[in-house]
Order: sequence, then C-alpha cells, then structure tokens
Amino acid sequence: MNKVSSTLRKFIKGRYLVIGIPYVWLLMLALVPLLIVLKISLSEMESTSVSSMMDWTHGWPTVKLNFASYIFVATDALYYQTYISSLKYAVMTTVICMAIGYPFAYFMARSPKHIQPTLLMLIMLPFWTSFLLRIYAWKTLLVDNGVINNILMSLGVIHEPIAMMNTPFSLMIGMVYSYLPFMILPLYANLSKLDMRYLEAAADLGASPFKVFWLITVPLSKAGIVAGSMLVFIPAVGEYVIPELLGGPDTLMIGRVLWDEFFSNNDWPMASAVAVVMILLIMLPMAIYNKYQSEQMAVKV
Amino acid sequence: MAVVSKANIVREDLLRVEGVTKIFDGAVKAVDNVSLTVASGEIFALLGGSGCGKSTLLRMLAGFETPTKGRIFLAGEDITDLPPYKRPINMMFQSYALFPHLNVWDNIAFGLRRDGLPNDQIAEQVEKMLGLVQLAKYAKRKPHQLSGGQQQRVALARSLAKRPKLLLLDEPLAALDKKLRETTQLELANIIEEVGVTCVLVTHDQEEAMTMASRIAVMSEGHFLQVGAPDEVYEMPNSRQVADFIGNVNIFDGVIDEDKADHVTVRSADCLHYVGHGISGHSGMNVGVALRPEKILLTKDQPASAYNWCEGEVTEIVYFGAHTTYHLKLASGKVIKAQALNNTRDLSYGLTWGDTAYAYWNERAMVVLTQ
Repeated sequence: MNKVSSTLRKFIKGRYLVIGIPYVWLLMLALVPLLIVLKISLSEMESTSVSSMMDWTHGWPTVKLNFASYIFVATDALYYQTYISSLKYAVMTTVICMAIGYPFAYFMARSPKHIQPTLLMLIMLPFWTSFLLRIYAWKTLLVDNGVINNILMSLGVIHEPIAMMNTPFSLMIGMVYSYLPFMILPLYANLSKLDMRYLEAAADLGASPFKVFWLITVPLSKAGIVAGSMLVFIPAVGEYVIPELLGGPDTLMIGRVLWDEFFSNNDWPMASAVAVVMILLIMLPMAIYNKYQSEQMAVKV
Repeated sequence: MAVVSKANIVREDLLRVEGVTKIFDGAVKAVDNVSLTVASGEIFALLGGSGCGKSTLLRMLAGFETPTKGRIFLAGEDITDLPPYKRPINMMFQSYALFPHLNVWDNIAFGLRRDGLPNDQIAEQVEKMLGLVQLAKYAKRKPHQLSGGQQQRVALARSLAKRPKLLLLDEPLAALDKKLRETTQLELANIIEEVGVTCVLVTHDQEEAMTMASRIAVMSEGHFLQVGAPDEVYEMPNSRQVADFIGNVNIFDGVIDEDKADHVTVRSADCLHYVGHGISGHSGMNVGVALRPEKILLTKDQPASAYNWCEGEVTEIVYFGAHTTYHLKLASGKVIKAQALNNTRDLSYGLTWGDTAYAYWNERAMVVLTQ
C-alpha cells in the first residue's frame, strides 16, 4: 500500500515537471522580457542608459514611475496616425490574404489526395529562401526600371513607367506575398478535415452550391478562418522589414517608428512605450480569439 | 413480422429505375443494369453486403452520382440529370450528418428555409416534426448534446420536414447499439407509416430489412439476386446466394430422384428428401435442398418415416437463451444446424455433446434450389 502511494507520488511529481517545463519556458521567454520592456517604458533616459527605477536617496527604497513616454504617445498625433495606419495595413493584408487564401485552401483540400502533399510543398517552398532576399526580389520587379515596367514598356502597353515602388501598393504586395502561407495553412488543415457528408446533406435539403458553401462550409471552417486571420494580422501590425524595404518613406507603420525611437533617437523608454501600446493593441484581438476558442471548447465538452 | 399487407394493395409506381449502370474509373461496375419500380407508399429495402452496389444505387437516387447508363424516373418525370438540390427526394444519412453548428430546430428548418417559405410556416412545420419524433424539449440543443437515438430522430425529422416524395434511408440504424436498435426500428417504421412517405432503405442487416420493408431486393456485385416480400425472400429464396445471405440455412446437395406434379424426391448423401410440392426440374438434375435450422426437429429415437430425417452426432450446443442451436455431424461429415425453441426451462431435447440424435422435418420445410 505504502509502495503504491509512493510510486503514485513520484508519478504526480513527474507530471508536474512535464507540465511545468512549458510554463517555465513561457515565463522566461515571454513574461520576463515583457516585464523588462514595461519597466523600461516607465523609466527615464539618461545619457547612455536607462535610469534606475529604484531610488535610495531617502534611505529607503522608493519606486519612480515615469509616465512621460506614455503621455507623449497619447498626445502626439504622429503615434496615433501610425497606429491607425498600421492597423489599416494589417487589416487590409488579412482581408486580401483571406480572399486569395480561402479559395486556394479550398481547392487544395478538394484536390485528389495524392497531389495534396505536392501542393503543400509548393506553399512552403518560398520559406526555403531567405525572407529578406525574397523581399529584395520584389524590389527588382517593382521599381521604375524593373522587370514589370520594362516588359510593359517594351510591349507598348505603357509609355511611362508606373510608379509602383515605395507606395502602399508595393507594401501590400510584399505583405500579402509574405503572409499568404500563414493564412492558407490553417485553412487547409481545417478544410481538409471537413466531412463531405455535411455538404451532401445540405445539397440534399435543397441548398444550391453557393448556399452550401455559405451556410455549411464557411461556418464549419470558422476555426481555420480565425486562426489564419490571427496568424496574419498579429505579425502584420508590427511588421518592420516589408514597409522599410517596399513601403517607401510615406507608409507609416509602427515597426518603423519603433526602430527610429530605438536606434535614431536612442530613446528607449519611448520605444518601449510604443511597443507596450502595440502589444495591447494586438492583445485585444487575441483575447477575443481566446474567448472564442474557450467557448468552442465549452460547447464540445 | 413485416408490414406485408400494405404491399399487396396495387398502387401507382412512384419510382422507376430503368437499366441503370454505374461504372467508376472506367472499370469498376458498382451497379450493373439494375431496373426496379417502387410503388407509392412502399418501403423498399436494398439488402446486401459491403461493396454490393446498394449505396451507389441510393446515391444515384439522391443525385450524388450520375448513372453511366440508364434513366431514373420519379412520378413519371425523368430526374436522372437533376442535381440533388432540385430533387423532391430527401435522405437520412448514415450516422446522420446533422450540421454540428446548428441546433436541432435549425437543422430541421434548414431544408424549409431553402424553399423560401415564410417564417411562420417554417416554424409550424418544424414544431410538427419535433412533435412527430418527440423531441420538442430538445429544440435548442446542438447535435453533439444528444444521444445516438435522439440524433437519429432529428435526422429523420430533418429528412421528412420538406415532405419529400421519396425518402432515402442509408443504414438508418447502423450507428445504434443492439438494444436501442430494436426499439428505434419499430419507432422509425411507425413514423414512416404515419407520414405515409415512400421509402428506399439501404442496409446490410437482414433483420432490419425484413422488419421495416414491404419489399426487399437482395443485391450482390451490382445486380439484384431476388426481389420480393420479406417472407418470400426468406421462405422461397431463388438461389443459394440468397438463401445463404438471408438467415441461416443448411443446404443438402442432391439429385432429383422422382419428379412429380405434386412432389419431388431428392437423394443426397445423408438422406432422402420428400418435397411436398412440384418444381420446374427433371429427374437426374443436380439441385440443392435448403432447410432453415428452425424448421428442423431433433429426437433421440429413430423416426419410422422413409423420408426427411437423418442421423448425426451432436458436436456443438450453442445456447442463446430463447433458443438453442445444435450442430449435428452427419455420416458424410456434413454438419447441419438445428435450432430448438427453449419452450420449457430445461433444454427441450435433453441432448448433450457426443449423443446420437435424429433430425427430422416436415415435407413443407424445404426449398429446392435449382440455381
């Protein structure tokens, strides 16, 4: 009896250890850095480093919280506009990725079983080349004397090069191109599991192919739609590389402001405050997503 | 057992299938030149093992598959090329295919909404259907919150809601456990009868086919082996395959000895059969004599008659509660099964393993199989 309970205790300990590892991981790599950023955002910048929060001048520890950076973020129109513009580009990227990705994933899931792995490979193929290289490649396609303009000019379709580079258009091309796989993959995973009998049952009950799609396929792939949208929207809000390389000086995105604050202005608390606000902006849709997920779970139980 | 009486009333044909063939991938003949008519109000069962083509035939009726050859008519109208959503036919799917994101009410209303009916009419019809399957209390539940039997009733209500001309049932009871199946089977048959809808039912379960259907088509390798009322198919199978597929059967191989208008005698290795009716055969013809286990009686004493008995050794006694099946090894080495009703609490024959027993049967117990 004693032996049984001791092995049971060992087993339970082992279980805590196994469950504990991911928690420790998250704590070290997500929560701690986040708290450091939060701390920096509430400090003041001294000549080369961030001021210490703790003050011992009175003989006892006092904590100094400096909200100046947040006040500046809240009052300066530039930040407000940048957040709005970031969200706008992120929403546009998500919507366009959805518009292209959903039919793509749908036909992938419906294609013969034996060619599906190949199609999946083709989706992932771009990841084999450096992301930076691929964005540069777009540059050579889009610039005024680039491949697209040259071909169109030599064909006589246009006489003046179209200004595509350094516009919101080139930014969206880069964003959609980069994030499309993150939309397709969860949608494909979801749609390929869709039970064909539901579609047949709907058709049997008098639903036209469009109605079957709208009333059955779309609602049943909601989880994939949500997952794909989150995977695209969240990194798109904070994107830095694509607006920097393809967006030109006029496309405002928060990633670039962040960079400027850190490296040009050397104002760490300001940069951190911008980052914290951005995290809050992203956490909102995340929280909605999580709530949706847990509701789904609750329904399943 | 079955609702035989209804089938005998002459009614107009509702469904007519003419020489329908379905070939998959240019090679596999799933359904091979099948023709059938189903009268209005009839419950017609397609019975067969897996891969016999029964499901393909049903899917062609629903419109999910197009026949390679042949036509399908419903109430005189050619529906062969109509897509499923334009056919006045509804199907109850195997394992139901209830829409998981819709509650019971919306599942039943789904088809009615597609017809663009006004809301009050939809509500009225859904309430009626919920009443019919006794699920009014569960209208707001999602399918996964229901038991298997309840899901089955929702599926039935959904397929009946549009008042289809023809109802298709794909293995309607296969997803239920045995005990539930018996009660549900009756319930299902009663509801269908109440509504008066014509049914085509696909099943691999002969009991399900016999209890529910007014006519059965036994299918194998894409074609019909026999079509008839349940008792007809059971008591007068037209081939060994049918006799073997429907229920248990002992088949004695033999040769016709005497072929008279009112009787035939067949000589087989272990006994001489006297069959009390004439058949279309001739003496010297090789035939099989089919004898159902429940029609065989056992005794410890040798029967005096010259016909219809044989001697064997009891090799196996299988107790089922309501009845017991005895395996008897005959002199030729053939093993026959005899089923005895346990009509008293002690096993009726008092036989045990290794005993010598005599099996005997009535002259009207056998069917001579010429195919």
